[in-house]
Amino acid sequence: MEGKHLTNHPHLIEAESLSVKYPNGELALEDVTFTTDASTFLAIIGPNGSGKTTLVKTMLGLLKPCSGSIKVLGYDAKREYNAIRRLVRYVPQRDHIQHNVPMKVKDIVLMGRLLKKSPPRFASDKDVDYARDALRRVDLEELWNQPFPELSGGQRQRVLVARALAGEGPILMLDEPMSGADHDSQVRIVDALHEYHEESQANIIMVTHDLNPIHIVVKDVLMLNRTVMGIGHPCEIMDTELVKQVYGPTAYIVELDGHKYCITHDSGIDDHDR
Amino acid sequence: MIASIFDLILTSPILQRALVASLFVAFIAATSGSFMVFRGLSFLTAGVAHAALAGAALGLLLQASGFAPWFSPVLGAVIFAVLMAVLTAYAGERGIAQKMEVAVGVAFALSMSIAVFLMYYLPPAMIPQIWGYLFGDLLLLDNLDIVLLAGTALSLILIVILFKKEFVYVSIDMEGSTAHGMSARGYHYLMIIVAAIAIALTAKAVGAVLVYAILVAPAAASNEVLKTVNGVIIGCFVLALLAMLIGLASSFAILASPSAIAGIVAALMYVAAIQVKRLRR
Repeated sequence: MEGKHLTNHPHLIEAESLSVKYPNGELALEDVTFTTDASTFLAIIGPNGSGKTTLVKTMLGLLKPCSGSIKVLGYDAKREYNAIRRLVRYVPQRDHIQHNVPMKVKDIVLMGRLLKKSPPRFASDKDVDYARDALRRVDLEELWNQPFPELSGGQRQRVLVARALAGEGPILMLDEPMSGADHDSQVRIVDALHEYHEESQANIIMVTHDLNPIHIVVKDVLMLNRTVMGIGHPCEIMDTELVKQVYGPTAYIVELDGHKYCITHDSGIDDHDR
Repeated sequence: MIASIFDLILTSPILQRALVASLFVAFIAATSGSFMVFRGLSFLTAGVAHAALAGAALGLLLQASGFAPWFSPVLGAVIFAVLMAVLTAYAGERGIAQKMEVAVGVAFALSMSIAVFLMYYLPPAMIPQIWGYLFGDLLLLDNLDIVLLAGTALSLILIVILFKKEFVYVSIDMEGSTAHGMSARGYHYLMIIVAAIAIALTAKAVGAVLVYAILVAPAAASNEVLKTVNGVIIGCFVLALLAMLIGLASSFAILASPSAIAGIVAALMYVAAIQVKRLRR
């Protein structure tokens, strides 16, 4: 595998009084301040419309802050987004992927490497090796030559995770990578990301509405509800008072094998583009 | 029989031009039409062809009124086509196909209204030129039309060879492509503007009706049944050429407009492709 992803900067994300507006003028994030250390496996959680996707897009320079600032490995997202994008491999929400182009699975996985090259973006033998290895990690190696649009929802999500694993750069950002995926696919996605993080020390930032499937593999959790509600290790965030405050009075905490899990009525896919 | 067809082709410059034009239009369909279908923007092709009509009407009016004699109808067509494309591309910048559809629909209505509005002020002698943009005929082409089509086809082929991957990536995942550091926005605009110029120039040569028949249906049909990007592009070329050849051949048999027949054949190809896809399941 690739060499360790180490950069000199100690902090993965530094947000200071960050506010971001939706296109309709409503505040999506307000006065967000926090710092996370590299290298980490970070989960960004919160209810629907809590600003999780907005935060990730702001880190990538896809959305601009209306006040405050956010830095990724020391680079300011407003001014130095090109430098950040060179470091990032990104999996957008699944409804941002179009299926009417007849791409093979291998073409999608190779995209993770070829997007970082300059035109004409030819795939070298090394690119193909990395892509095959990434597809093996999500246990779909046999689908290498299959048409991507014909896969199931869970298989597509696994292929997109493989696209991120195949690429280079010290940060993986995944926006709800397990939404629409069957249980088996969810398990494989979590295992593949966990294994990859342990091996490569690459930073992984995952937006999810449900912490439970990744509870034991993540190192840090950022809980958002338009502003920072909590940040810390998974079991610190899973606090009864806090989850009731964020998810409403029906939320509660259960303990299993020494870990705390949150049960809420919030499920399904986030409505980010409203 | 075959010998007499060859005799006819060899002795008829009209037919020679029609055949060469069909070949170039098929290349334009394969390179522009396929990517518009991938991008989910087949409707833009029809919209841009009508915007070109409005632009041509404006050009004719400016010439006729002596206000700007240098402003040719082709220039007007290209400017209007590009304006409409940029408007649509802007609406779709965030990668939401739905918004692009609405933008195309509104711009379509606007440009058709402008065309009709301007035609009212044109000298009657110029009206047939406007109809030429709409109902151009494969059998009424001059050498300038052929040069125009050849230039358009060759430029498109070159651009697609250079940027095929980028256009495909923008179509699949605009946001992800941007986040990985590719200037997806630039390629998004390049792809749509190049298509708009090609559509305006092709409409000038062969008429808007043939443009949206041949630039949309064969690509859509090809995309239903074929499973690789190159396959769809080649399939689109073959179907487009076939539709136009059938149109030309039957126009001799039943004295009909070859563009109209080609359009009907192309639409039937799409219906057939849907059936093939259904039977496969």
